[in-house]
Amino acid sequence: MKRVHKRARLAAAFSFILISALTLRAQTGTSPDKAGAESYANHCAICHGEQREGNLPAFPPLIGIKRQLTDDQIIALIHNGKGRMPPFPKLPHEEVASLLQFLGTPAMMEAVAKPEPAHGSGLAEAGRALFQQNCAFCHGRDAMGGESGPDLTRSKLVLADVKGDKISVVVLNGRPEKKMPAFNFSSQEVLSIAAWIHEQVAAAEAHKGGRRGVEVADLQTGNVEAGRAYFNGAGGCTKCHSATGDLAGVASRYEGLQLEERMLYPEGAKSHVTVTLASGEKLTGVLVYHDEFTIGLRDATGNYRSWPARKIRYTIDAPADGHVALFDKYTDDDIHNLMAYVQTLR
Amino acid sequence: MLTGIVLAATPCLLPAQSPVPPSHGSTGLDPALLLKPTPDSWPLYHGDYSGKRHSHLSQITHENVGKLTLAWAFQTHQAAAIKSSPLLVNGILYFTVPDNIWAVDARSGHMLWHYNKPTSQGDHIGQRGVAMYKDWLYFTTPDAHLISLNAKDGTVRWDKVVADVNQGYWMTMAPLIVDNHVIVGVSGDFDNLTGYLRAIDPETGDTQWQWNSTPPAGTPNGTTGGMTWMTGTYDPALHLVYWGTGNPTPVLNGATRPGDDEWTCSIVAINPDNGKLAWGFQASPHDTHDWDAVETPVLVDGIFHGEQRKMLMQTSRNGYFFVLDRVTGKSLLTTTYGPTNWALGIDKMGRPVPNPAKEPAPDGRLIAPDESGLTNYRSPSFDPNTGLFIVDAHPSWSLYFAKPADGNYGWAGADYNLWGKSVIEAIDYQTGKIRWTHEVGGGSGAGVLTTDAGLTFTGDSSGNVLALDSATGKTLWHAGTGASMQSSPITYMLDGRQVILAGSGGVLFAWTLPQGP
Repeated sequence: MKRVHKRARLAAAFSFILISALTLRAQTGTSPDKAGAESYANHCAICHGEQREGNLPAFPPLIGIKRQLTDDQIIALIHNGKGRMPPFPKLPHEEVASLLQFLGTPAMMEAVAKPEPAHGSGLAEAGRALFQQNCAFCHGRDAMGGESGPDLTRSKLVLADVKGDKISVVVLNGRPEKKMPAFNFSSQEVLSIAAWIHEQVAAAEAHKGGRRGVEVADLQTGNVEAGRAYFNGAGGCTKCHSATGDLAGVASRYEGLQLEERMLYPEGAKSHVTVTLASGEKLTGVLVYHDEFTIGLRDATGNYRSWPARKIRYTIDAPADGHVALFDKYTDDDIHNLMAYVQTLR
Repeated sequence: MLTGIVLAATPCLLPAQSPVPPSHGSTGLDPALLLKPTPDSWPLYHGDYSGKRHSHLSQITHENVGKLTLAWAFQTHQAAAIKSSPLLVNGILYFTVPDNIWAVDARSGHMLWHYNKPTSQGDHIGQRGVAMYKDWLYFTTPDAHLISLNAKDGTVRWDKVVADVNQGYWMTMAPLIVDNHVIVGVSGDFDNLTGYLRAIDPETGDTQWQWNSTPPAGTPNGTTGGMTWMTGTYDPALHLVYWGTGNPTPVLNGATRPGDDEWTCSIVAINPDNGKLAWGFQASPHDTHDWDAVETPVLVDGIFHGEQRKMLMQTSRNGYFFVLDRVTGKSLLTTTYGPTNWALGIDKMGRPVPNPAKEPAPDGRLIAPDESGLTNYRSPSFDPNTGLFIVDAHPSWSLYFAKPADGNYGWAGADYNLWGKSVIEAIDYQTGKIRWTHEVGGGSGAGVLTTDAGLTFTGDSSGNVLALDSATGKTLWHAGTGASMQSSPITYMLDGRQVILAGSGGVLFAWTLPQGP
């Protein structure tokens, strides 16, 4: 029922604005503030909401927009449009100026813009709604991890992100190798999601102890000597790796859960493919695409080439498969011991 | 099943002149037709009540499937992938993504109407389709409402709250119509909430009954959870609805909910008239790995070890294949169908016995399968001709963590997938042996449809739609669709032509044999 009430409130607010706008139009010498509100109601409110609250996921909120975009950027958006947003090339200069002024005023009805108890900016609040709808299932409602998605409040990428510069790349492109889909958000929408994630980072840091997540200290239950023995013996790790070669210093490059995950399966490890054409010609490269019908590789010069799988012969060298073969052999102790040993490779 | 007998008795090349004519040329659906769907319809989520997702159509054969071609494609223009199973009633297809329904002419693929009402609350993880009763559609929303719409034009008749989104419920499932009951289930894993099934009056939207899978939150030593987020099946002769329930909550920490945590991770048989439990079978007693047992409870009548049986089969998310006697709920067969390492064995009732040493721990436990499970919501299919249960399986390994600081609310721990791949597997239901395996890549597979011509339709994780030989798993035809199939294919006859319909990404594709210009 809550929803119905909200709609009724919105409808009431909408008719109020319409009436105000009509009244304003009848007046002469309107102040720039009121002219801006009128312009907003005429051109923007139908998508961005009567109170600039937006209509997610399609239409971003404009509350606080002047903190995100310069006046020039907003003017360019108004004149040129973007994505779903139509252009308004013929809006008179004075009207654009008053609209800009109006967009800088505080929101009139905070309650409408924030249907639930909110903690931060309008931007982050908009991001919260988008996050709950699109991201929370995998990353958890608090961004601290959920079904299949990692804890974002501990993500190095998130911690290094400044105003969405890194988060946006991941959101817009996805991470197909980790099954994260790409999302077709506007840049403003991505900004709002990033703003909300940063608020969650702050919230998580303020609540240490009561939160889930894997600390480096949690992963110290193994025995170094037993791990060394497993590495050199039963695990067969030395068939591909060397503690003084490729793995020298690995514990300085990674730590904690990230190190353990990479130890168990090196996500994104490249496979190589050797293709023999009907002519007898042999080509080698990094395996880029492989289904049962097509083989694609990138050769040493960076060129991509592909063939129908049934017209060639090919062999794939996938060194990471050695990690897969160990899964049904490990005991949990083996893993903890191996982790203890690998952590000594600094 | 009943439907099988009726359809098998009719010749396969049945065009529009079906045994039961479409109800007086209108848009509406006679509820009696749900008991015996005509070849020119797909009036239920699973196509019929049995959940076999097997069609008696056989116009598309081993010999001609290589010529399969595109009849049309429908663009939703949405980022959301189609995870719904379309309905086909009187030549009109109805399918969904969250907050959206389309009605599309099955002949041409052109849109008749589009319902589009964005909701700002609730999880938008997926939408699995509508149900239909007479002239009305039933649609669940992310903010946990059930909406009844006029199938003619998509206008809303009524809108009822099924669960409180502010408590953490949401809805994705396609309702199941049984007689004059619209049966709906709920989702919600991030809070300690009671799962339930509810029957709703198709005309008024009033609640008829509610069956709770778990006691109220706060019950001492009690569990919450047992969400009912996939569509069940129905046996009209026994008059029982079969439904899978989800994992207990808190999810990864079982300390506050000792014991088996009934009826979470279970298959339950419910009387559709009053919501009373006839029997329950726990696929995962005391689950601590998020392994819902909501996968389709497939109803099969046939021989089991020499005896005619009414069976129920499920490939469960926890990696076990179950065959039950669906009259009594007693186990006939329990076996794994891929890597699992979390059980000590199988108890006298045919249930896996969870190994306490494999519960999530502060320093991590290596677990197979991963949290998404050995299979998930994509439908399997039972092919009565080969006796094969064909399923999209996901062999996988992961790490599970939980420590006291994670608390006992909601997720209460953390888990991380390490590696997985997808295969289509054909299981011999009498032995549990894997008859064939077809690799479909590192990502997710697709739902499965089988036909009487011995064909299996599914997809791979690269976005190819595939036709396989049901007996051997060999590829007979494929086409790239640009995105992996997140749904389960359906088939029907229209104007004398068999159509294979499957969504990939936000596009619905209709495949058929070549026709004239």
